[in-house]
Amino acid sequence: MGVVLDGLVLGLQLALLSVGIVFVYGLGGVLNLAHGQVAVLGGLATALMLQARQHPVLSGVVGVLAAGLAALLLDRSLLQAAYRRRGEERLLLALILTLGASFALDGLFTLRFPNVALSLRLTNPSVEVLGVTVRTASLAVGALSLATFGLLLAFLKGTRLGKAVRCIIQNEAGALLCGVDVEQARTVTLFASGALAGVAALGQGFFSYLGPDMGPEFTILSLIVAVVGGVRSLAGTFLASLLLGVVNAALSYWVGTYLTWIALLAVAVATLLVRPEGLLAYWP
Amino acid sequence: MSPSVRKALPVLAAAAVLSAVPAVLGGSPYQMRIATLMLVLASYAVAFNVLFGHTNQLFLCVGALASLGGYGSVLLVRDLHVFPLAAVGVAAVLSAGVGGFLSYVSVRRGFGVLFVGIVTLAVSLMLHNLLLGLREVTNGETGIVTRGLGVGLAEDPYRAYYTLLAVLVASLWAYRWLFSSPHGVALHALSEDEVSAELSGIDVTRYKVACATASSGLVGLVGALYADLNGFISPSVYTVGHVDIPVLIALLLGGMRTLLGPLVGAVLFSAVDELVRPFGQLTVLAYGVLLVVLFLVFRQGAVPLVQGALSHRLRPAFRPAGLAGGASRAEVGGGGPEAGR
Repeated sequence: MGVVLDGLVLGLQLALLSVGIVFVYGLGGVLNLAHGQVAVLGGLATALMLQARQHPVLSGVVGVLAAGLAALLLDRSLLQAAYRRRGEERLLLALILTLGASFALDGLFTLRFPNVALSLRLTNPSVEVLGVTVRTASLAVGALSLATFGLLLAFLKGTRLGKAVRCIIQNEAGALLCGVDVEQARTVTLFASGALAGVAALGQGFFSYLGPDMGPEFTILSLIVAVVGGVRSLAGTFLASLLLGVVNAALSYWVGTYLTWIALLAVAVATLLVRPEGLLAYWP
Repeated sequence: MSPSVRKALPVLAAAAVLSAVPAVLGGSPYQMRIATLMLVLASYAVAFNVLFGHTNQLFLCVGALASLGGYGSVLLVRDLHVFPLAAVGVAAVLSAGVGGFLSYVSVRRGFGVLFVGIVTLAVSLMLHNLLLGLREVTNGETGIVTRGLGVGLAEDPYRAYYTLLAVLVASLWAYRWLFSSPHGVALHALSEDEVSAELSGIDVTRYKVACATASSGLVGLVGALYADLNGFISPSVYTVGHVDIPVLIALLLGGMRTLLGPLVGAVLFSAVDELVRPFGQLTVLAYGVLLVVLFLVFRQGAVPLVQGALSHRLRPAFRPAGLAGGASRAEVGGGGPEAGR
């Protein structure tokens, strides 16, 4: 029971991390391999603020904003070169450029902040809910993720800009013809993708800790989720995250880290082979 | 000069220059090691050039294929007491088989460059975790001391250097032969446009799989030799960051789709790597920045650049790999039909 709950919370956190990579792919046709590094940047910013004895909430907000701005900066600088191309060329260029960016950021983090880590301790380590002892951190992360997702859904379904974003994901040319401002939607989406990754990094800080070298791990995890859930579907991403979160928690508990990684990657490869559009691609 | 000799000239020249390197270095073990590792990188880059440059297959598993060669040969000798040279051969065949299989699956499923990249990256990570996890066999992160388990390259730096040089020159020779044969024209056509190539009767699947198999075999062979000359292997010496990224950078530096590009790129990369190595983690940062800058502003690489500058002074004979020597896709496309006649 505890394992399932942990898995679900982990899944929510994965969803926050992955939704950015999915949206950026859906919107711009580029796969951002520096996504995990953006999340780490947010976490490190929060950790540095906390070190400077700032208020925790303020630190968290600054971290999330920093991650959002980092993603936006990536978009405004490197990815512009990719947007000028179409199709396969764009994908490849963006892939290599963000791969380069991810290495540059990884190097920068481990070089400049080798000992900075984000670890958020709550006052009560665990509480009892309905007769089950639950870690407070799990509850906090769960609540944080659900609240963030609520905001995201409200934005997508309730605002004009959100509608525009969904429009472009469905059909970029069609959206352009209808007068949707693709540029503006892209800016907002990139910022949101980074900010959501930043929230996920805070969640990691609550759970255990977040170090400067965790970027690749985050990127790979979000990539796996994106592949399994289908790179154009929000519901798919959400369900795949929960599924993989539970699988991850259960396997880590029973068979250990290495086999868990192999299993997660194998699920991704199998999905690509059997249903390249993602397991849940045709869900709304 | 007969045409066949002229064709072989760049390969012979490179071999001659590289054979003289140990004499110039005067036997300093450290510098010999750098030079040998440069040859290892150049050989990987030759394979990756065929994979990515000529057949559009973004194999992000060069390190993983090399680790199959390395771990395969070492474990065969250690646990099954296979004769070392035979073990190296078997490991190379294993690596070739895996590479060919990955290519076959990708082509059959119609994966674009992105999906091939993701699948091969996932395979790399799976193998990495497998090597870490099978602690009883591989010692996990601790790694295996390979001294006495190979063909004896660790003991003699000269032997290591010249063995790797022989492999590199042989692979350059094979590349040169391939691209001056009719197969070169076919490969050229498919790297331009696979659908048109298929329509003009070229068996795209067969060419891609054959190229992937041969390249992976080369990577496996070099990976096995590396395990021997390094004296020690662990999963971390074969990671994407340690092998694939340097190979990609070296190929971009030197010039994709050229004969000598991989070699020139490996030389340049080794020089840069030596400059930043003292600063530890700076190497990762430098790799990232190099990759971005190269891909944005220097996509053609050094060899085509030098060729362009020298083209009116030297005869076309010196253009690496005849058909494949063009600087850009557009130029190659323009010259293709004429050269094919």
